Amino acid sequence: MTEISRERWAVIARHLDAALDLPAGERAAWLASIAAQDEALAADLRRMLDEHEALERERFLEDELTAIRPDGPSPLAGTVLGAYTLFSEIGRGGMGTVWLARRTDGRFEGTAAIKLLNIALVGRAGEERFTREGNILASLTHPNIAHLVDAGVSATGQPYLVLEHVDGERIDRYCDARALDVEARLRLVLDVLDAVAHAHANLIVHRDIKPSNVLVRTDGRVKLLDFGIAKLLQPEAEPAPTVLTGEGATALTPEYAAPEQVTGGAITTATDVYALGVLIYVLLAGQHPAGEGLRSAADLVRSIVDRDPPPPSDVVTSPNTSVEVRAAAAVNRATTPDRLRLTLRGDLDTIVAKALKKDPAERYASVTALADDLRRYLRHEPISARPDTLRYRASRFVRRNRTAVALASIALLATIAGAVGTLVYAHSARAQRDFALRQLARADAINDLNTFVLMDAAPAGSTFTVNELLARARHIVERQHGEDEATRVNTLIAIGRQYWAQDEDAEAIEVLTEAHRLAQTLDDASMRARAQCALASALARTDAIRRAEPMVQAGLAVLPTTPEYLADRIFCLKCGTEIAQNRGAGDEAVARAEQALDLLRSAPFSSDIMELRLRMDVAESYRVAGNFPKAAAAFERAAGLLKALGRDDTQTAGTLFNNWALTLDLMGRPRDAEPIYRRGIEVSKADATERAVSPMLLLNYARVLENLGRPNEASDYAVRAYRKAAASHDEVIVTQALLMRNTIDRVRGDLAQSTADLDEVEPILRKKFPTDHPAIFAIVSGRALLAAARGDERGAMQLADQAVASLERTSPGSQRLALSLRLRADIELQFGRLDAAEADARKALDLLERATPPGLLTARVGKTALTLGRALAGQHRSAEARRALTLALTHLRDADGPDHPDVRQAASLLSSLQ
Amino acid sequence: MDRTFASLAASAQSGDPAAAEALFSLLYAELHRLAKRELGRQQGQQQEHITLGATTLLHEAYMDMSERDGTTFPDRARFMGYAARVMRGLIIEHARHRRALKRGGGFEITSLQTDAEAAVVDAPALSRLSDALDELAALDTTLANIVDLKFFCGFSFAEIAAMQGVSVRTVQRNWEKARIYLHQALRADML
Repeated sequence: MTEISRERWAVIARHLDAALDLPAGERAAWLASIAAQDEALAADLRRMLDEHEALERERFLEDELTAIRPDGPSPLAGTVLGAYTLFSEIGRGGMGTVWLARRTDGRFEGTAAIKLLNIALVGRAGEERFTREGNILASLTHPNIAHLVDAGVSATGQPYLVLEHVDGERIDRYCDARALDVEARLRLVLDVLDAVAHAHANLIVHRDIKPSNVLVRTDGRVKLLDFGIAKLLQPEAEPAPTVLTGEGATALTPEYAAPEQVTGGAITTATDVYALGVLIYVLLAGQHPAGEGLRSAADLVRSIVDRDPPPPSDVVTSPNTSVEVRAAAAVNRATTPDRLRLTLRGDLDTIVAKALKKDPAERYASVTALADDLRRYLRHEPISARPDTLRYRASRFVRRNRTAVALASIALLATIAGAVGTLVYAHSARAQRDFALRQLARADAINDLNTFVLMDAAPAGSTFTVNELLARARHIVERQHGEDEATRVNTLIAIGRQYWAQDEDAEAIEVLTEAHRLAQTLDDASMRARAQCALASALARTDAIRRAEPMVQAGLAVLPTTPEYLADRIFCLKCGTEIAQNRGAGDEAVARAEQALDLLRSAPFSSDIMELRLRMDVAESYRVAGNFPKAAAAFERAAGLLKALGRDDTQTAGTLFNNWALTLDLMGRPRDAEPIYRRGIEVSKADATERAVSPMLLLNYARVLENLGRPNEASDYAVRAYRKAAASHDEVIVTQALLMRNTIDRVRGDLAQSTADLDEVEPILRKKFPTDHPAIFAIVSGRALLAAARGDERGAMQLADQAVASLERTSPGSQRLALSLRLRADIELQFGRLDAAEADARKALDLLERATPPGLLTARVGKTALTLGRALAGQHRSAEARRALTLALTHLRDADGPDHPDVRQAASLLSSLQ
Repeated sequence: MDRTFASLAASAQSGDPAAAEALFSLLYAELHRLAKRELGRQQGQQQEHITLGATTLLHEAYMDMSERDGTTFPDRARFMGYAARVMRGLIIEHARHRRALKRGGGFEITSLQTDAEAAVVDAPALSRLSDALDELAALDTTLANIVDLKFFCGFSFAEIAAMQGVSVRTVQRNWEKARIYLHQALRADML
């Protein structure tokens, strides 16, 4: 059987397919018929089918692999290693399993912990060295070091370590459980430092200091575990493994690795100083220097190697830290977040920063020096470590505050309204102090403004809409003088972008024009570019769209290419993406958004919010480019990120759901789109009314309802969208609502109203868009269908030909061309031109099938197949018609749902043919 | 990560053994990382039993890697196919070494439809099964892939059908064929 050839298996497999589809009772007769032709094949098949039935009964492979459990009774219990007998497994880690063992050679009483090391980590060649070095470690005795009693290799080649058994708790959990204050924590840390200093004096480096290796017994004694074992496991001949490569990966803990461990540099006592710095940081601040949450290894490495951690005093009250973590950190240290901040601020910040220097030479020269400074702090004496110089700090300040800047500026804009936040500022090493402080002042200004608008200016208990809050913010900014103008520009941009995100284009342009005017008077490339780009993007939604592109390009050109303007470049690229989208230049939009994302990835800062927005832009750009499957996938991913960021009930989520659903609708999946739109509307509602819901969303919902064959509901939503848009003078939505109403009216048979709608909207769109814009296509198609509905064959055909010809020229192979062909086929069908209808429908179907990924069932394929089926049925070509209608039904049932009028039409036509 | 999944998958498909190797390690590292992260998260929640859904893991790997690549994969089914094969390796390796990935905690891979009383699977049997699967893959990749997806990763027939763009019945029939093949191969090994 194992020698079966590919050819033989192909034959068998083919026959098995047939046999498995037969009822079990009919297989015998079937086999007999095979046997008549090929005895050997029949024998094989019989054997296999018998086996199949047996396998069914025993459910072979059906649900066996539901779990792999490492626990449960292990055969190792009772194993004797040297003087010890293994008793029970008490832990397992990257290096192997740990067993509680009893001394059973009768000479001493007592227990020990025995670590059974993974053979792969030692290797047979390393056994001798393992034993030798183990003996050196065994000579290390200190009251705070868990003693290594023995190291050996069993007769079966299993390397093991016999260690003093410590019954204790991890130091971080011990401290938290007892709510030890900062001072008590530091006293425990000093015991740890003593132990490490002792080992260093014996030329032994720990290499893997982390909370789980520092236990505190119930009597309060600290015990350090696994001294030097990381080295013991490292093959002598090979270079030190970096943390993230190869098998060594499991032996070390990246979270506590020093930069030199990650980059493959020399491991020295300074490595332990760094790990102790991380340990102290965690014990003081309640979180890892790289921030809360779990991150990818790559991200962690970047943070270990590149990022200066924020001072512990900052993170305990930083809005960047989640409320729960902040509260828990304070409670576990018997204090409040603000008091904890004050305790840590200054000396402790300085001490930790010195221990955590990226360059080993800049850290404390020894563990003793670190311990000395902590003792000085506890005695309220001046410490030896100096805070960083102003210049160093200024650049670090900005980096550290980038997230704070981002958060401050979106406190109002994102948490409440969830719209576009101000970008954070990048900074290069040569950043100057003034620059840094100015950025900070700007961030503070926005922060103050938010606080003022939300807390002080809003009477308690009253509710405000976003627009009311924005109007208030604007009013305040207009009256504020005396602060620097760049700050005002920045604040105005934030407010303008917020208006923009609310679809309040007129206000957005007003505020951004003011920002732009002010910025022109400043010698500040960053502000000038931002104001220019933000204004350009706002203009792109209006009649002035032609001005937008040159403006954003000029904005980008103003920006120097140095790293400190990276964030401004990302911002301008984002604006450029929006403009390209509005121009209908999808590919360009995709390219810009991707470029912005690339820049963000390469940036020395990170902003989840910005990443989310750029991802949404990428998705939206794919949609504009007509690549719906890619767009849908990108939206789904962005929705995942949104959820991960806890923002799935914000305005951003409303936007995302809207755009995602629109993509699905355009992809021909209205049934999938409808519930996502509803989610979008629910999320944006904010209260029981639709006041906060974007008219665009209402309009899109109308469209999906129309696509789903629910014109009455669709009409209702289209009217609501129209009224909202008209009230806010949103011309884009007004025109789209008119186009929508035109379709609905036509479908409902109100041809006069439908014509009036088109008459109203056509001049506006003609003025605004070039002739190859989708909006113009919509006009022409609408007119064609109206003419057809009026029975004007010549007019309808002329317009339909015009649409097809224009698209054949501008976008051959596009789905829009397929749509125009299908519309023409429908018109031809109406006027009895069955041959032409068939030809157009076939062409359209061909285009669609080429553009539709396999397995994707869409309404557009379904509708086109339906048209083809009707054309064929009209020609009495029943067999072909049935095939086309079956295809139509497959697609339509899935994409539109079983109750859709098209489904009913296809089904009844099909049954009439049978 | 210099090369993206998509480009590696393309090269591996066209028979570049180095690309296939790189692809395997890439996916292995990814799944490993996700497994650790998931375990870490669950440990954070102080749960007593840590479980890890292979299905979830694959989905997450897909999401993560496609995010990193910045584009969607041309073929999601192909991704799942590769990943499921890697998952099998991960599970068997785990069973073989019984080695925890995370200090201080047990490591457990379960399918989504886990019940707590699930049988312990012994590593040698799994290894033999894996070898037989590799043989089957040489004959008919689709069949072997279904076993990886269903048995090792816990996908349902319906999910696999959607992934591969075929009917549920086709998947089921292929599954039955694969099972017959595997059982015969395993029995032959035992003799």
